[in-house]
Amino acid sequence: MKSLTKTLFLILFLLQTVHAIEVIDILGGKANELAVAVIPFSDDDADNEKNQIHNVIKSDLSRSGFFRIIKTEGVKSLPANSDQVDYTFWSGLKAELLVIGRVEKNDQQIKVTYDLIDVFKEKLIISTEYNGSLKQARQIGHQISNVIYEKITGTPGVFHTKIGYVQKVNNNKFHLNVSDMDGFNPKSVVISNQPIISTRWSPDGEKIAYVSFEKKKPVIFVQNLKTGDRKLVANFKGNNSSPAWSPDSKKLAIVLTYNAFSQIYVMDVDGGNVQQLMRSRSIDTEPVWAPDGKSIFFVSDRGGGPQIYTIDLATEQVRRVTFEGKYNVSPRLSPDGKLLTFITNDNGSYKVAVQNLVSNQVMRLTKGKNDEAPVFSPNGHMVLYTVKESDKVTALKTVSLNGFKQLLIDTGPLSNQEATWSPIDF
Amino acid sequence: MNKLFYAGFAFAVLAGCSSTPLNDANAPSDAKAGAASGSESGELSLDKLRSDSLLTQRSIYFDFDKFEVKPEYLDVVNAHARYAADHPAAKMTLKGHADYRGSHEYNLALGQKRSVSVKDVMNTSGANDSQIETVSYGEEEANQNCQGKECDQDRRVDISYEVE
Repeated sequence: MKSLTKTLFLILFLLQTVHAIEVIDILGGKANELAVAVIPFSDDDADNEKNQIHNVIKSDLSRSGFFRIIKTEGVKSLPANSDQVDYTFWSGLKAELLVIGRVEKNDQQIKVTYDLIDVFKEKLIISTEYNGSLKQARQIGHQISNVIYEKITGTPGVFHTKIGYVQKVNNNKFHLNVSDMDGFNPKSVVISNQPIISTRWSPDGEKIAYVSFEKKKPVIFVQNLKTGDRKLVANFKGNNSSPAWSPDSKKLAIVLTYNAFSQIYVMDVDGGNVQQLMRSRSIDTEPVWAPDGKSIFFVSDRGGGPQIYTIDLATEQVRRVTFEGKYNVSPRLSPDGKLLTFITNDNGSYKVAVQNLVSNQVMRLTKGKNDEAPVFSPNGHMVLYTVKESDKVTALKTVSLNGFKQLLIDTGPLSNQEATWSPIDF
Repeated sequence: MNKLFYAGFAFAVLAGCSSTPLNDANAPSDAKAGAASGSESGELSLDKLRSDSLLTQRSIYFDFDKFEVKPEYLDVVNAHARYAADHPAAKMTLKGHADYRGSHEYNLALGQKRSVSVKDVMNTSGANDSQIETVSYGEEEANQNCQGKECDQDRRVDISYEVE
């Protein structure tokens, strides 16, 4: 089964060999999903339904785009362990995988055991036990999802990771929030009466850099998530914006308007040793470091409209990267450096796109019409982005690269935007 | 990478290892900001600033994703430039804006480019560089739900004077 799924996942990468110039629009295809039935865990008596471990697993697996959840409502005899599985019945429901689990509660402690079963082979794939407090029920669910995800795809899951985002409470109140990647357990780490934009989680997981307008103009702060310290690292003449971490978390690429137009500089993370990266008579902004640290991708209007370019830090050679469409902004790279995600304006509609940097094939992953700020998940399998719809509150969504499944992140009724994703080791 | 080091950044090295917030050595100082006394206000012809049909116009509007000053706004921009040239003590801020569509950071850069483009016109009409500060708020003050023509309001540069 594992090899089959891997083959299906490779479809995305097979597109590398297609030398078509045409951009591919992909809107919520349902191909390649494995059918999985997550049986309600016996004695899963967490206080509310949302904390029930099987619901966490269903939500995680569904978001990934690799799995289709088979409904178990109405099934009379649900198995509580692998011995009780009626394989003929589940084969009839076209279930390829079964997740069966049990929760044993002892005061505020829980012991969770679960089995992952291959229905066609009638075989137990994995069986594991977790111990924790009742409050950790969701976290245990995410850990189980991670194990299942890695077993099936061969790539570590990210369901335990965190995201950061800006919540607009009202016109005079902005929060920088950190939550679980599915929006649960939000905490405000910064509260400001001025807008916050451009949140960037450091690769070492310890800090979030962001832009605040609290000095009556944009300046750059670094928030230390461990100590709670907040440090103003760039407050130069003009605008200070668009911080981007170097892979070793020691430097920031930033954008200053010191000499009129937005230009990219590189400095130490404490604000010292500022050097201009390159000079242009145009807008250069939104820098982002390649994961190998050898180049910086950025947006420039040097060719007319905004397009994405890259500069080799050793040779200072600049190369244009995007050619499809007249407006391409907000570049971010996948952890392996092979895929670029960005926002493209497609006939007035702003969509999330992904470009394969080997073949230069571009795929538009969303339908717009005002999508913003895409960022890869730390395993590169999903893109987190902001959705602005005229009659709805600004919200965060993920889109999976496998199956292109788009799902909302439940961050409540307030406007949320400008998201960042923690590293995988967080 | 360009090794040229800006003198204006030297303080950053000094502040390097401390946790003291950095101050911008090159920003207009607060002392100047508070300097406008009653008599100086007279020298600045505030009445003119508040009554002149061109000088009371403080917003310059732009086309979508454009930064060039349109011909119909040249009279207003030039009037402010002449006012600055005639009143060397006058200081103004050009605050650029963009509509909400597209990225926050690119809109910040675009708002800045718009304010610089207004400043460039003012410079050619006699306003001194030191009298004009350009800033951008990008889309941060824009109507986040505008539709069609409504969004035109958000693509602009606002002119404000320090004494006001």
